[in-house]
Amino acid sequence: MTREQHSAQATARPPVLRARGITKAFPGVLALDGVDLEVEEAEVHAVLGQNGAGKTTLMNVLFGLVQPDAGEVYLRGRRVRFRSPHDALAHGIGMVHQTRKLVAAHTVLENLVLGHPRARGLLDLHAARRELRSLCQRYGVHVDLDARVWQLPEGEKQWVEILKALYAGARILILDEPTSALTPPEVQVLLRALRNLVEEHGVTVLLVTHKLPVIRAVARTVTVLRAGRAVARLPVSEASDQELVQLMVGQEVALPGLPTDTPRGGVLLEVEDLCAYNDKGQLSLRGVSFSAHEGEIVGVAGVTGNGQDELAQVLAGLRPAASGRVRLAGRDITHLRPLDRWRLGMGYVPADRSEVATVAAFSLVDNVGLNYHFDPEICRRGLLDRGRLERLTRRILATFRVKAPHPYVQARHLSGGNLQKLVVGRVLSRQPRVVVAHLPTQGLDVEAATFVRGRLLEAKSRGAAVVLISEDLDEVFAVSDRVGALYEGRFVALVPRHQTDPETVGAWMAGLAGRDR
Amino acid sequence: MRFGAWELSVERAEGASPARVAVGALVAVALALLLASALFWTPEAGPWAAYRIAFGYAFANPSGLGATVHRAAYLLLCTLAFLVPLRGGLWNIGLPGQVYAGALAAFGVAFWAGAREAAAPGPWLLLMPLAAALAGSAVGALVGLLRAKLDLNEILVTMMLNSVLFWLVADFIKEGGALMSATAEGESFTLPQDFRPPLLLGLPPTAFLALAASVASDFVFSRTAAGYRVRTYGLNPQAARYAGIDPLRVSVGVFVAGGAFAGLAGYHYFTAVPGLYKIPTNYGYYGDLSFYGMICALIARGSAVGAVPMALMFAGLSVGGRFAQGALRLPFGVDYAILGLLMTTFVLSHLVDRYGFRWRRISPPRAARPQPEEAR
Repeated sequence: MTREQHSAQATARPPVLRARGITKAFPGVLALDGVDLEVEEAEVHAVLGQNGAGKTTLMNVLFGLVQPDAGEVYLRGRRVRFRSPHDALAHGIGMVHQTRKLVAAHTVLENLVLGHPRARGLLDLHAARRELRSLCQRYGVHVDLDARVWQLPEGEKQWVEILKALYAGARILILDEPTSALTPPEVQVLLRALRNLVEEHGVTVLLVTHKLPVIRAVARTVTVLRAGRAVARLPVSEASDQELVQLMVGQEVALPGLPTDTPRGGVLLEVEDLCAYNDKGQLSLRGVSFSAHEGEIVGVAGVTGNGQDELAQVLAGLRPAASGRVRLAGRDITHLRPLDRWRLGMGYVPADRSEVATVAAFSLVDNVGLNYHFDPEICRRGLLDRGRLERLTRRILATFRVKAPHPYVQARHLSGGNLQKLVVGRVLSRQPRVVVAHLPTQGLDVEAATFVRGRLLEAKSRGAAVVLISEDLDEVFAVSDRVGALYEGRFVALVPRHQTDPETVGAWMAGLAGRDR
Repeated sequence: MRFGAWELSVERAEGASPARVAVGALVAVALALLLASALFWTPEAGPWAAYRIAFGYAFANPSGLGATVHRAAYLLLCTLAFLVPLRGGLWNIGLPGQVYAGALAAFGVAFWAGAREAAAPGPWLLLMPLAAALAGSAVGALVGLLRAKLDLNEILVTMMLNSVLFWLVADFIKEGGALMSATAEGESFTLPQDFRPPLLLGLPPTAFLALAASVASDFVFSRTAAGYRVRTYGLNPQAARYAGIDPLRVSVGVFVAGGAFAGLAGYHYFTAVPGLYKIPTNYGYYGDLSFYGMICALIARGSAVGAVPMALMFAGLSVGGRFAQGALRLPFGVDYAILGLLMTTFVLSHLVDRYGFRWRRISPPRAARPQPEEAR
């Protein structure tokens, strides 16, 4: 379909969901500035934008979570106003958030019934089970209704969320970054299922993402948001990746360069036969050994749940090692507290920026303090030098291009990408000798991800040893000097980047090392 | 709700300004007094007369004012005992136990120094509050340790210790107890003059200490690294661990400090307030009163200085309300009813802060707007 045809069709057929002139301001931030959106029935409509462009706020408005300051929403031509998510659900709009909203200790069935419009007073779990089985059959979904949610892999949890919305009667599904926590095979399963939902069952999907391959795989139309404004609405088939990126960022984006040729120095980090238990008491790191040199990035690929969390946390001192040794510049730090590791030059960018790396209710100044409260420059005789901390925060905001109205805004008001840039900036501003970066670009848009990778390369070029733990093979190959994969808590291999390729490492991640492919 | 071209709705607010919080607090007080006026309605006098008597006694009568300030100092120390752990995300709900521990330790020192007979001169006036603070801290340390090491719920632990210490006091002051009065009336012996702290402007040093500690507490939490670490742990324990903040130090530290304040509160009321100087039969009443210290901390949203007017208000209303109750022969418990109403209206004011009314103009239906410009 050409743009003209697409536009003509849009005006001929009334959209199932239309938002007009949506405006929403938060303290110090104009999140949405008169945004228009039109979504047709039974299509996957992608909403593309950088971190902080207003995508999630717009979806929250459509789902009744946030009340707009101005603008209207029309559902099948009728003006509606959703006072709550319950209200939106009653009108057939369901939302699957970027972060899971499930009760981990409950079974899938209990989670699906929880909050269901009919689940009041006595619960008829037998009837619910029957209905859900038929729903699963109808949509071709395979989920064990009796499994506890914490036992499920991320992909299945995602499905529980989608099923929950469908079971509550949603015909319009809003999916906020649905692939951000999924492994590549899980992404493929989800995309196939979304196509099926739309084509076979007439469900309308509003897909919020900044992953162009995902959009290209399933979406028919894309609305691009930039700085709180809708800057384009295009048929996906008519737009090139370069064009979409340009619309999204408003300028040419420099794609990530290859690793700079920094001469490799001496060993800074040595890990020797490291073992650790996970939260369930299972041995999830089983004798990992590797080293990272000055001016080197070691890329550790792996599918979630193969020991990456434990490796990162043991290196940072947040999880005890069951056995083995960790040395930083020759000094044994295996049993040192996190603070002592910080002081010795360890820097850690955790995977979870909102729950672990930041305090939502703190200002950005106080959040920067998380990596500086022990620093003699900031803390003198037990007193915090708040003036110095503020100047440092301003410098990090400027250097790492964090979009924030002022340093005293609460971290909760920052978009995911800006929060991540703050975390990375905060860690790298200490000029650590060893950087452990776990999923540093997860959920970031192209520009932000490129920027963060650039900073890791910069750290490497000044002589730091970087351990990059990532599920994104493109990222691992874009910046690493040596590449390895963790599978079931063990290193499958660790080789110079030019001696391998993404397909081989992908096979290592899937546990196919040594087999013919 | 629609009014012509306008719509009124209740929406969640992003945060309240300090001015709005202050106005909300004043409205809460006014509303509580308005609601409580029904309780003061008698054929002889209307609510206005009752309030005049209550407030006149609490804030204008020299003896009533003294009682108000003594009680406010006690509430303020209890506020601090609750607030310090609260900033670390921990709930010192059973702080009356630490108050009893403080009182017991102070009287223990006096007993050991021979206060029941002819006491030899010594540093007892310093040792008594010190012992009270240490006893409260010791109880607090146990709570903090159990919380950090065994992940035991601090609310349950403090409540249980509360009960243990209540009966321990009873054991010491009832008949046959080491601290019992000469007439065995179910109360402790009365402190002789040498064991009573000196008064300055009619107030014991603990009243000034409570005020200074409130200012210091706000300073510590806003300006020092230790306060920052406690706040971080209170708001996000995971982020605190990431930042290298030791959970054991925070848990034990805040409970030790909280316990010390509670212990001093026990010392203040039973050994430093003129007219008492003993652990009375109804010592449990003072334990119950300490809960208003917690309310002050919650209403003041964690600010110890902000809790000062709250403590004065609660103290004045309880003292004045009790006086008006006697003067006007009102039903028993009017003072408690007023405090309860005040608490309720303050909680309501918090709700109003979190949600606000919003007027929005409903725009008339518009003609279809052009599509957003396709930037190419």
